[in-house]
Amino acid sequence: MRYRVSHRTTYSYDDDVSDSLGIAYLVPRELAWQHVAERALTVTPQPLDHTEDLDYYGNTATYFQVTEPHRVLDVLAVSDVEVQAPQHDEHALLTPWEDARPARRPDLADAWQAHDFALASSLADQTPQAHAYAAQSLAPGRPVGEAVVEVMHRIHADFAYDKTATTVTTTVADIFDKRAGVCQDFAHLTLACLRSHGLAVRYVSGYLATTPPPGKERIVGADATHAWAAVWIPGSGWLAVDPTNDQLVNDRYVTVAWGRDYGDVPPVKGVIFTEATSSTLRVEVDVAPVTG
Amino acid sequence: MTALRDYSAAVTQPTLGGGAVPYDEVVAPDGGLRPGWRMLAEGAIQLTEADLRRVGGDIERFLANDGVTYTVPEHDPGPWRLDPVPLVLDAAEWAPLEVGLAQRAELLNAILVDLYGPQRLLSSGVLPPAVVFAHEGFLRVSARASAGDPHPLLLSAADLGRNAAGEWRVLADRAQAPSGIGYAMENRRVISRVMPELYRQAGLHRMAPFFQALRATLIDSAPEHAPNPRVVVLSPGTLSETAYDQAFVASSLGFPLVEGSDLVMRDGAVWMRVFGRLERVDVILRRVDAAWSDSLELRKGSQLGVAGLSEAVRRGSVRVVNGLGAGVLENPGLLPYLSAMCEQLLDEPLRLPSVQTYWTGDERSMAYVLDHLDGLAVRSIDQSVDLEHHGPDRLRELIRAEPHRYVGQELLPLSQSPTLDPRGVHPQTVTLRTFTLRYGSTYRPLVGGLATVMTDDRVPSSKDVWVLKASPDDPDQGLPDVLPLTDVRAPAAMVPRVLEDMFWFGRYAERAEDMLRLVLTAHASAEDFRSRPHTAGGASLAVLMSAIGRLSGSRHGTEQLDENFRSLLLDAHRPGSVAQSISALRDAAQSVRDQLSPDTWQAFSWTERASAHLSTYHYSHQVAESAAQMLTGVLSLQGVTANMMRDPGWRMICAGRAVERGLQLCHLLSATTTVRRGIDIDRDVNTAVLAATESAVTHRRRYRGYVRLTGVLELLLTDADNPRSLASGIDEMRQHLAAMPESTGSTRPERLLDDLLDELERVDIAALTAIEGERRPHLDRFLTGYIGQLTRFADAVGEMHFAGSPVPRSFGFATVTE
Repeated sequence: MRYRVSHRTTYSYDDDVSDSLGIAYLVPRELAWQHVAERALTVTPQPLDHTEDLDYYGNTATYFQVTEPHRVLDVLAVSDVEVQAPQHDEHALLTPWEDARPARRPDLADAWQAHDFALASSLADQTPQAHAYAAQSLAPGRPVGEAVVEVMHRIHADFAYDKTATTVTTTVADIFDKRAGVCQDFAHLTLACLRSHGLAVRYVSGYLATTPPPGKERIVGADATHAWAAVWIPGSGWLAVDPTNDQLVNDRYVTVAWGRDYGDVPPVKGVIFTEATSSTLRVEVDVAPVTG
Repeated sequence: MTALRDYSAAVTQPTLGGGAVPYDEVVAPDGGLRPGWRMLAEGAIQLTEADLRRVGGDIERFLANDGVTYTVPEHDPGPWRLDPVPLVLDAAEWAPLEVGLAQRAELLNAILVDLYGPQRLLSSGVLPPAVVFAHEGFLRVSARASAGDPHPLLLSAADLGRNAAGEWRVLADRAQAPSGIGYAMENRRVISRVMPELYRQAGLHRMAPFFQALRATLIDSAPEHAPNPRVVVLSPGTLSETAYDQAFVASSLGFPLVEGSDLVMRDGAVWMRVFGRLERVDVILRRVDAAWSDSLELRKGSQLGVAGLSEAVRRGSVRVVNGLGAGVLENPGLLPYLSAMCEQLLDEPLRLPSVQTYWTGDERSMAYVLDHLDGLAVRSIDQSVDLEHHGPDRLRELIRAEPHRYVGQELLPLSQSPTLDPRGVHPQTVTLRTFTLRYGSTYRPLVGGLATVMTDDRVPSSKDVWVLKASPDDPDQGLPDVLPLTDVRAPAAMVPRVLEDMFWFGRYAERAEDMLRLVLTAHASAEDFRSRPHTAGGASLAVLMSAIGRLSGSRHGTEQLDENFRSLLLDAHRPGSVAQSISALRDAAQSVRDQLSPDTWQAFSWTERASAHLSTYHYSHQVAESAAQMLTGVLSLQGVTANMMRDPGWRMICAGRAVERGLQLCHLLSATTTVRRGIDIDRDVNTAVLAATESAVTHRRRYRGYVRLTGVLELLLTDADNPRSLASGIDEMRQHLAAMPESTGSTRPERLLDDLLDELERVDIAALTAIEGERRPHLDRFLTGYIGQLTRFADAVGEMHFAGSPVPRSFGFATVTE
């Protein structure tokens, strides 16, 4: 599938901002199953300084600094992306989950790097509750693919999607308390559950193309940023699962960046210098299928 | 008997329990002295306990005079403590230690370069990845392939202690932002002054060449583009634990001490805001922990660093020392693997072993630690978990839950060293902090260090470390070729924050001085008239007290005169009190410590002793005595400023003084002279006003003792020859403001000054003193108006010269999402 992704983030302030420094993770990754044909990132007002770099995990990080006084900062990322459904080695998915833990696989060349994603990170706290929750799906010797998919099913079934339930500071314990959250929370929950048993799991940020209800037109700008999780499968890369929609990641998912949790790859973050006392954030995302 | 002989006899006496006697730094097991002490013996042996106690007193006084403080977290700064008995190591013992320390720094550097680069230690399995990945000091923002900084470790420290056999072992490595080298230097300075003979005889390594080498290293570390590199010392501020150490290092090296708010990111580089211009910064000696150094990519919301610093470092436009990622080296989880890493990276055996450490992420080590919790100290690898109050069961639980986050470390017996306490000289446990510098292409340990002893009252004290030369001809620090520091006076970092502190330094110094004079005048009058309220003198006293009340809030009735005076001198919470002004003055001085002469701190030790006396002695005359002593201290600051460079900082001090003097004068006149109270009372009041404004002698000379209000006002308002007059003050302010780099002749503060001068020139003293009933409404109006204008002027100076940028905040703070 081919998509034209447009992602606009607008901050408005009630007073002049003299200086904005920002980091954006908005450029999709180039992957075996994903090709980025075109991309552009525009910051308004025009930044004095605007550079791109690959971060520690190979994501494209855009750094910018706007130094002319402004009350509105607009970051627009547009990209043209071709995606295929990721392929998985069925045999590798049958590996007993215990042997999918990087600590147990010094025989594999990429195990040491995967280790980074098997440890706790600040937004995916490995609470005893998370550990116990995942344990139910991790019977000894169970194939890792099956176990991971079951955890995904269960999270989808046990937790309600509720935009009002959580904020950016929500912890894993909060999500268990409320039994509700949004995609970012479910991704963090998956990380906490599986990592607490030694599996390596990445947080992935990106987009999901939405299908309008039958007979209705697509509504431009109604899409949103999305997040999911990907589990290290020995000898076969990473299995990406979307607990929000209870499905394996397929050719409707555009991968932008991955890290240990949201904190490593927020779409836009930054620091401003201002006397302003309030700000407004508006985010518009559109993932439009491109034909031909 | 001498102190050392007594000590020696006591520690060699067999203990009742027959337990193992720790290694003693002075006395060998056979009762003889250790080799280093044998060389000192003659001078040292003769010291009696009384001598040591006198030396201890001298040390305390010297440290107080130098204003040396150490802040226990969440407390007010306390005095830095130094024991008179040094830790002495002879050349034979030092030599292998020095080789081991140099190798260790070399190794730590190689580890740093690998972890932030190819990570072969991890991929080859020499170092378990979780040791590094789980550590907060491993900064992924610095581990990008693009990072231009080759991350060499320039200054590291190691904490050492002895094992049961008396061999040195490394307890911990410090690489983030090692502190203590300033304290080590200060200790040496003090010890060499209080025990000059012993110090001269000892033949030990002077420390100065090490500082010179450090300075050269920092300058050389600048990115290549900089022909005249600007180096700054970045401090978290005066509330930091080791603020003194930071300021000492900055001023000894001749680099300005700055805070995060003084710096700004532009064009991918770091700049310092100086007089509305930006000046490029090339090297930052960082005393802020990495996590707090960049609110853009590291800890959100931190105001201690520079937003964007990580990006500037990656681009190679600024060099941060040590590199932001160096904190990863403080991880005790590295220690079990150090030997193997040394073989792999340096291809040689590790020379200086660490204390035996077990990383519980390794299954066998975990089993060992869980079985031996009694004999081990459990620590989290990055101090992110507080383990202090946990019992063994809880520790086991924590370790089992996340084994990779902990280590178990053997507890060393450590050595003991004679230490002076209130009851005598007793053995106390000692540890040694050493410092190692990259100089050219090699690592050079400081020949010396900073020793810490735990005293019986659980407050740590320090010791100077004497490393003796093998031969008197050995060059100090083994560095014969280091150029001596020529005039290393810190180029003033005239950032808005510093100018502001200077301005307030001037204002508080003047405020304290003026109030002291007023208190002295009022107290003298009180001694004569307190029991005669109905005389002219008694009425005049009441007027003076009401003037004091106006300047400092009145909390006492007239019958509580002494309490009132005492609170004016001692109560730091009373606005306008002497104590409050001095406390604020001290705060201002502390944050510009690197710009001020060390003599500054003697002023405070004067005022502190005066306060201590006043608190102890409750006689009324002690008020006058202590106030006079405080005045001596505060006046000595005039001498300090008189010797300063005539730079913008000095000008701000002078302008601050002049503004404050003007304000204090107008308030005083307004409280005393705008009402007519009868000839006798007015004469007494006017005389007191002249005394309090230090103008009595001039007045007597000029008006032959005939005290009339017009004469007083002429002298205090319009007489430009009287340095205490308003006219003279305005003139001073004009000169100083005009000399500021940003001044144009028509900036707002300058225009306000023109107005002030204009008004003063048009004053007709006779008209001003005109009487309507009991009051002098013209004078009242003039003074009130002038106070308002002076205040507006002071505010305008602030807006013009001290305005920094607003506080940095995160995108989308207080956000409403649409």
